Amino acid sequence: MTRMLLTGNGAAAWGARLAGIEYLPAFPITPQTEIIETIAKWIDFGELDCRMTTLDSEHSMITAAGGAAVTGVRVFTATSSQGLLYAMEMLYTTAGWRAPFVLVNVSRGLASPITLEPDHNDILAARDSGFLQLHCATCQEVLDGILLAYRMAEDGRVRLPVIVNLDGFYLSFTREPVEVPAAAAVARFLPPFDAQNLGFRAGAPLSEAVAVLGGSPYSYFRYQHHLAALNAEAVFEESAVAFARCFGRSYQAVEAYRCDDAELVFVMLGSFATKAKAAVDCLREAGQAVGLLRPLLLRPFPAAALRRALAGKQGVAVIDQNLSPGKGGVLYTELASALYGQADSNPMLVSFIGGLGGRDISAEEFYEMAAVTRRAAAEGQAPEPRLLYAEAELCEIKKWQAIAQVQRAKEGQP
Amino acid sequence: MSETRFQTMKDLPSCHLLGTGTALCAGCGGLEALHEIYDILGEKTVVVNAAGCMTLLAVYPFTPFRGSWLYTAMASAPAGAQGVRDALDILLAKGRLTAEEDLQTVVLTGDGAAYGMGLSATSGAIERGLDFLYLCYDNEGYGNTGQQYSGATPHGARTATSKGPCGYPGYKKDLFAIWAAHRPAYVATVVGAEPLDLARKIEQAKNRQGPRLILSLAPCPTGWDFDPSETAQIGRLAVQTGVWPLKEYRDGQVVHTKVPQKRLPVEDYLKRQGRFAHLFQPQRNEALLQEIQARIDAYWDNLQS
Amino acid sequence: MYRIRFHGRGGQGMKTASRILGTAFFNEGFEVQDAPRYGAERRGAPIFAYVRAARRAIYERGVIRHPDLVIVADETLVAMPAAAVLQGVDAHCVVLIHSREPAPVWQHRLNLAGPVVILPLAEEREDRLALRQIGTACAAAAARLVGVVAWTALEQALRDELAALGDALVEANLGPARRVYDFLSPQQGCVAPGPVVAAEGYVRPDWVELAFEDARVSAPAIHAALTSEQVQTGQWRTLRPVIDCARCKGCWWVCSTFCPDGAIQVDESGRPRIDYAHCKGCMVCAAQCPHHAIEAIPEQDAPPAEDERGAK
Ligand SMILES: Cc1ncc(C[n+]2csc(CCOP(=O)(O)OP(=O)(O)O)c2C)c(N)n1
Ligand code: SF4
Ligand code: SF4
Ligand code: SF4
Ligand SMILES: [Mg+2]
Repeated sequence: MTRMLLTGNGAAAWGARLAGIEYLPAFPITPQTEIIETIAKWIDFGELDCRMTTLDSEHSMITAAGGAAVTGVRVFTATSSQGLLYAMEMLYTTAGWRAPFVLVNVSRGLASPITLEPDHNDILAARDSGFLQLHCATCQEVLDGILLAYRMAEDGRVRLPVIVNLDGFYLSFTREPVEVPAAAAVARFLPPFDAQNLGFRAGAPLSEAVAVLGGSPYSYFRYQHHLAALNAEAVFEESAVAFARCFGRSYQAVEAYRCDDAELVFVMLGSFATKAKAAVDCLREAGQAVGLLRPLLLRPFPAAALRRALAGKQGVAVIDQNLSPGKGGVLYTELASALYGQADSNPMLVSFIGGLGGRDISAEEFYEMAAVTRRAAAEGQAPEPRLLYAEAELCEIKKWQAIAQVQRAKEGQP
Repeated sequence: MSETRFQTMKDLPSCHLLGTGTALCAGCGGLEALHEIYDILGEKTVVVNAAGCMTLLAVYPFTPFRGSWLYTAMASAPAGAQGVRDALDILLAKGRLTAEEDLQTVVLTGDGAAYGMGLSATSGAIERGLDFLYLCYDNEGYGNTGQQYSGATPHGARTATSKGPCGYPGYKKDLFAIWAAHRPAYVATVVGAEPLDLARKIEQAKNRQGPRLILSLAPCPTGWDFDPSETAQIGRLAVQTGVWPLKEYRDGQVVHTKVPQKRLPVEDYLKRQGRFAHLFQPQRNEALLQEIQARIDAYWDNLQS
Repeated sequence: MYRIRFHGRGGQGMKTASRILGTAFFNEGFEVQDAPRYGAERRGAPIFAYVRAARRAIYERGVIRHPDLVIVADETLVAMPAAAVLQGVDAHCVVLIHSREPAPVWQHRLNLAGPVVILPLAEEREDRLALRQIGTACAAAAARLVGVVAWTALEQALRDELAALGDALVEANLGPARRVYDFLSPQQGCVAPGPVVAAEGYVRPDWVELAFEDARVSAPAIHAALTSEQVQTGQWRTLRPVIDCARCKGCWWVCSTFCPDGAIQVDESGRPRIDYAHCKGCMVCAAQCPHHAIEAIPEQDAPPAEDERGAK
């Protein structure tokens, strides 16, 4: 094992390399490209025995990934934002094939307006695709998450593709110390791909991914897919135990930070959750009983674990780095549905939208979200969802609008 | 073509490999071509399919294939073939698959996918030199969705989205030329109604490596509106009138494999199909008929010069 | 509410029948729902369409489970399980069959508790016009049997629904429709609107807990070859190709090569054999045989084929 400074993209490449990937269908997109460049270099210089093919699009890339996985090799691929959406048809399709492979998504806000910076709308658009989802908070987790993802994907109780998600810029381009395990240790944790009854070969006819006619067979196949996804939570827990034994780092489906005695809890996904951790520490120092819950697993949704962790809490601030226009935060909705209708846990849920398109969330904002949530819990009434957006930002926009309209008036009138 | 094992009609296969019992229309010209082709390619194949009529060949739990099949989506069958081929090569290289177990990768799509949505994926597969055989059955429209016009629809044809008095205003795209411009290993046009020509070309394609692309006219009784018994006749008329030139691209050259010595008037072909009925009724659309004929004549005149 | 189901083959105009009847009801001031079962409709393959009509808003949707009237445009469908012609038919439901055989024969054969009405099969005319007229005739029959659709409402519906085919075709259809409508006047009103499924004393659905199954079995994949041969597409056929052994010269098996479905195999002695379990009756073989050795015989007139029962 070596400890080295790696970006999130570097950690993703190392995860793939250690997993012994055999095939990499690829297509460039910022902020993911560095992953495929890194792996391409290893391949070119003989450090990794893997075949890489650059396709004409992400739609083609995911098709090739699924095609190779059902032919029986270990497949890795990566994309981001527009690419993930361009591939969307094939996400659903290859998941329905029950093709086990791992896709890294580097989260980036979606057009329009087109941007390079991160939020979670891309990955949440794939929420119902049938892929499992791991949401990473650190570069270490990116590497480890890929190894865990292969264990889940290839387990006979699951056999589904998995997306490992990391935030653009905040992880993808940010270097942190990462423990890179030795290949031999990884080989003990992750045996070679067992393709089960997958694979095209002469003498073993296989018609894969065939059509169905009628709702009955369709319901059967879709629900089996769902049951397999549900199984993945137990498989994750098992794999995490094995992982801890091999590498000494332990993971839970939901990371709980100073939650046991907390009255108020932040709930959020991804790398900004470490900012919440910092805020929790400061709030604790200020005498407030605040904790953090961070689902590492989003699909399957660890509803029971979240319920257990939130039982008896006064208030929960759900911070969504995404926006479903006309509805609000997606994680908030997911959490509310997990808590509702339960006899014993009814903490006050307050919804915050922040970090869209890479907008930062400051420490003060975390403190204020705690205060708002505490007040709501005391009053028994949740406020309207709050967008984290400051006066100064609005002033800036007003200035830009003036410029934009001056420009238009100039062109429009002779 | 002395190297062929298909010297005369007698050499054509009399036993057929593709299973019966599929959901395709009675008299389907695409299926006619596919079964002739499958006879020659054989069961050591994995057929990667895009959305279209042929998707209904395999409906759970029924498949007509002796070998393998993978349905993908409308746009990306060539990419699916890439993934499968790459994986087979990896398995071969690592000794997890024996040479005897290896398969030919075959892409099977309609014209809608081939001329339009899947063109980017096809272009990519050719430029990467993918070792595969692409078979497009060209029924000149989006057949599975009810025969709307596609990039392959001929000028003047009535489709579900061109029902006006002049039919489809556009012109059929020259996919053969587009494919050939990529300089792949082999390109050919075929039709099920000319089985000997077809067999020789599939034999050619089978024995080559790299991207090999076959464009088959697929008379479609349902979409073109003719009696199913006329499928073969209409296919043959397409050749005899010069509407469907039988040709191949190999080693950088385009060769016509069957030049109609005396071309029949295109009307003979058009008249038999309901999709062109408006060219004759209630009155003859002389201008349009002449235009269609002139374009065919120009094609063949160009060849001579 | 009236619930009417039309069963026929792709190409026989069942969708048109349902639309004509739907429009006729609509012209009579009814609330209406009409739809074909959507899916891959292939010429010759069994398909159905249905109509609901009521004096108040219709909340039911989808396939009719408890019909009041079932119309069978093609009697050969009755014996075909895949066509599900008799699904939900009970003593209340009227069954109208387009057939040469009389009602008592069908009543007995199918062991039906409810009434059977026969629409006599017209003389064989296997042209496309005749095919379209089957649909129109079925719509006219249904209109008469429910008894609440006047000829004027039906005629208008027919004109509206067939308008796109041109005046000549509309006129060609009106005559036969009128004849059917008149012919069935003794049975006017024999179809009564059926009840809804009561919420009291209903039969509980037999829901199961769907248990997890390994992807080895629960993925939509077929680990076998040629299973499609278990599908009897021979049942689509309305015309049967019959090879006249005397005339067949055992050429280079033109018929076998051109048969789109590969339903003609050549045996050891070099003779073509048609697989009637799967032959769809397209007649490409008959049109292509250079020696005119293949004849087309209407299915109804043909004796049961040897290998029709099992897969080949
Ligand atoms: C992305 C996408 N868009 C649209 C469709 C609907 N669709 C299914 S088959 C088809 C027609 C395909 O046309 P073609 O490739 O010519 O094949 P054909 O149906 O004629 O056999 C269409 C449009 C689809 N399946 N996927
Ligand atoms: S619509 Fe045309 S191409 Fe499609 S199955 Fe029917 S005949 Fe064949
Ligand atoms: S085409 Fe006619 S002559 Fe030739 S084998 Fe068939 S039936 Fe016999
Ligand atoms: S009619 Fe002839 S060509 Fe058509 S399916 Fe039957 S055997 Fe084949
Ligand atoms: Mg088409």
